[in-house]
Amino acid sequence: MGIMPFIPKILDPVPGGKTIVNMVDYVVNWARANSLWPLTYGTSCCAIEMMSSSMARYDIARFGSEVFRDSPRQADLFIIAGTITERMAPAVQMLWEQIPGPKYSIAMGACTISGGPFRYDNYAVVRGAEQVIPVDVFIPGCPPRPEALFHGLLKLREKIMKESSRNVWKEGALSESEERNRYKEAALAWAELEKIKDEEMALAREQFKTNPPENYVPYKAVRVQKETFPEIERVNIQTQGKSVEELFKIAETYESDIKIFDESSDILDIVVSKEKYFHLANSLKNDENIKLDYLIDITAVDWNDHFDVIAQLMSTKFGHKVFLRVALSKKEISDETKATSILASLESLTPLYPAADFKEREVYDMFGIYFENHPDMRRLFLDENFKGYPLRKDFTHPHIIPKPV
Amino acid sequence: MSKNILLPGFREPPVDEDFEEFYINMGPQHPSTHGALRLVVRLDGEKIIEVVPHLGYIHRGMEKQAEKLNYIQYIMMSDRQDYLTAIQNNLGVCLALEKGAGIGVPERAEYIRVILAELSRIASHLVFYACFGGDLGGQTVLLYGFKEREMIHDIFEEVTGSRLTTNFFRPGGSNKDIPDTFVPRVKALLKHLEGALSDYDRLLTKNIAAMDRSVGVGVLSKEDAIAYGCSGPVLRASGVSYDVRKNDPYSIYSSLDFNVPVFYNGDCYDRYLIRFQEMYESIKIIKQCIDKIPNGPYRSKEKPIFKLPNGSFYAATETAKGLYGTYVVSTGGNSPYRIHTRSPSFGNLAALNTMAKGQRLSDLVTILATIDPVIPEIDR
Repeated sequence: MGIMPFIPKILDPVPGGKTIVNMVDYVVNWARANSLWPLTYGTSCCAIEMMSSSMARYDIARFGSEVFRDSPRQADLFIIAGTITERMAPAVQMLWEQIPGPKYSIAMGACTISGGPFRYDNYAVVRGAEQVIPVDVFIPGCPPRPEALFHGLLKLREKIMKESSRNVWKEGALSESEERNRYKEAALAWAELEKIKDEEMALAREQFKTNPPENYVPYKAVRVQKETFPEIERVNIQTQGKSVEELFKIAETYESDIKIFDESSDILDIVVSKEKYFHLANSLKNDENIKLDYLIDITAVDWNDHFDVIAQLMSTKFGHKVFLRVALSKKEISDETKATSILASLESLTPLYPAADFKEREVYDMFGIYFENHPDMRRLFLDENFKGYPLRKDFTHPHIIPKPV
Repeated sequence: MSKNILLPGFREPPVDEDFEEFYINMGPQHPSTHGALRLVVRLDGEKIIEVVPHLGYIHRGMEKQAEKLNYIQYIMMSDRQDYLTAIQNNLGVCLALEKGAGIGVPERAEYIRVILAELSRIASHLVFYACFGGDLGGQTVLLYGFKEREMIHDIFEEVTGSRLTTNFFRPGGSNKDIPDTFVPRVKALLKHLEGALSDYDRLLTKNIAAMDRSVGVGVLSKEDAIAYGCSGPVLRASGVSYDVRKNDPYSIYSSLDFNVPVFYNGDCYDRYLIRFQEMYESIKIIKQCIDKIPNGPYRSKEKPIFKLPNGSFYAATETAKGLYGTYVVSTGGNSPYRIHTRSPSFGNLAALNTMAKGQRLSDLVTILATIDPVIPEIDR
């Protein structure tokens, strides 16, 4: 901070010195508040609104914050735009540490206030940026409009204008500062007031019931005319390529003991055994009449007693789709280790479809199904030492907050 | 004994035993990774040997959370996957739900859907145009691209009540009817947009700096594009004519007259050109629809509680990024037993290593910009 803390110490005892200190403060704060340089940081939807606010129509340059810095070392404002996940949180913390002080932060959007739409029943999201770094201004909205961001900037400017060299900004000052404690006190005082208000309201309601005013007419709800809509018959669009029967007939020539999972579906969903899964996929890919050359996705379903792995295949030439479904029974394992261990395995499709690489890793990550012959079987989305597999039905995690009913 | 130790995820054998390769970490906070994406680049001098994406920095556990939400609430989640094409994601989810519940859609609703979806495609491609220019170093392009997009968002705000996260479509139609001002506004926009697009075309398409950095860079062959599961403009720039709107039509696309632009070089420049062509095609589609919006109901009969019968249902849409598939597994309740999204950016990003191999490090930014990934959609 250099010379700033010494100015009041020297000048305050001098007659008229306090005015000079105030003037110096004003000039410093004015300069600081009008040239906030934000860091280019954004994880999700709010980042786009942040970008919009710096572009042609909204033009954040009017507020002196157009210089978006790519390096945290050149920035002094951290606009936390977007959800912070548990995997991203250390990076956010590190970015905050790398910004030289005095620094300010704006939490943009519902996710950075409380977790927003991801607050309940979620294992991956940090509930609010304040869990990770100190925050100066919160902007509600999902996502907030650019105007809201500007409002937040102006609020931050007001806050900066109140700073003084008598109480200089320090590293970590925001998390343990007087202001923060004052905020806590204010929150408690507010809660007290609310309690008193509730009591008074209850009393007033009681009085109203026993002793209503003379000219009282009970409220009658206005009946809103409900819009009615006709029932419309669904027009099923003809699926492309070969029909389900035709496809099944061809598939039967390669493997005899296969069956259709759902007769009513317009997409052929073949149930195949674990041993013949790779062979059938290989045959269907190379068959000239089917030519399933495109892997849409590989996903799985946990049916409590077994897993279903579903490979969704398509032909770019004909346009038809075929789903291959394998039922994998779960390994018998004691209950303590069941949640954290791999319960089934299947042959990988990566030799046929390189696209299966990431998709099988996702299934491994989410369900704990191991794919043999996969070149790189690591977790994809979650940390290597994350406990458990989220999309299993018996998954529990200490960070999940169940939604209050 | 080589002194090169491979980091996790890298597969290529060392090029030279004695030569020391080095690794550069890009992200998760990087200005040109379009979000919280982390790339680890293995370099030989300035030449890329291999790129390994590390995902999950914005993994929000949507699919797990969806099991606790009901079907109508889940539509809100799809907004937050690809926020640039939120309305098309809404449509994708609604198509799967309609298929499951056997709900028909009135004609007026179909027209509203198509017009809004195509407007959203233009908005998304304009963001691509802006970011592509910006990533190449052209700040002017970045500013221009967002200009017309704001006009589209004005229309969205008027119709849906929100700029980005629209949450508008419902199984059987839409949440609300379109206002009276919708048609004149869209017409005015189209009139303006054609001129604006030709300006933008002049600004960047034949720009020598942009061409130098994108022609012949990041080539993806036809075979690789199919094998890696690319979709949308990335697939079509490699010479595969697959568009869900044409090859697996939904809504009223089969009755509309439009072309699917296909380019054959598969480089960054083609991926740029194809998006530009698609904007013109979208304008063409909207022009066909805007005068023909019929009167009548904007949605079919609402159910008090939306439930799906037992079974699993899959529906695909073509968003601005590519094939967006929704797979719903139902056990008869009002919330999904499992809901899975096939996100187009996920497939496109899988081909990043193939495109970037052998290119210079600075080209990686161009390649990533032309894939146009939206990371929350990949991580979900």
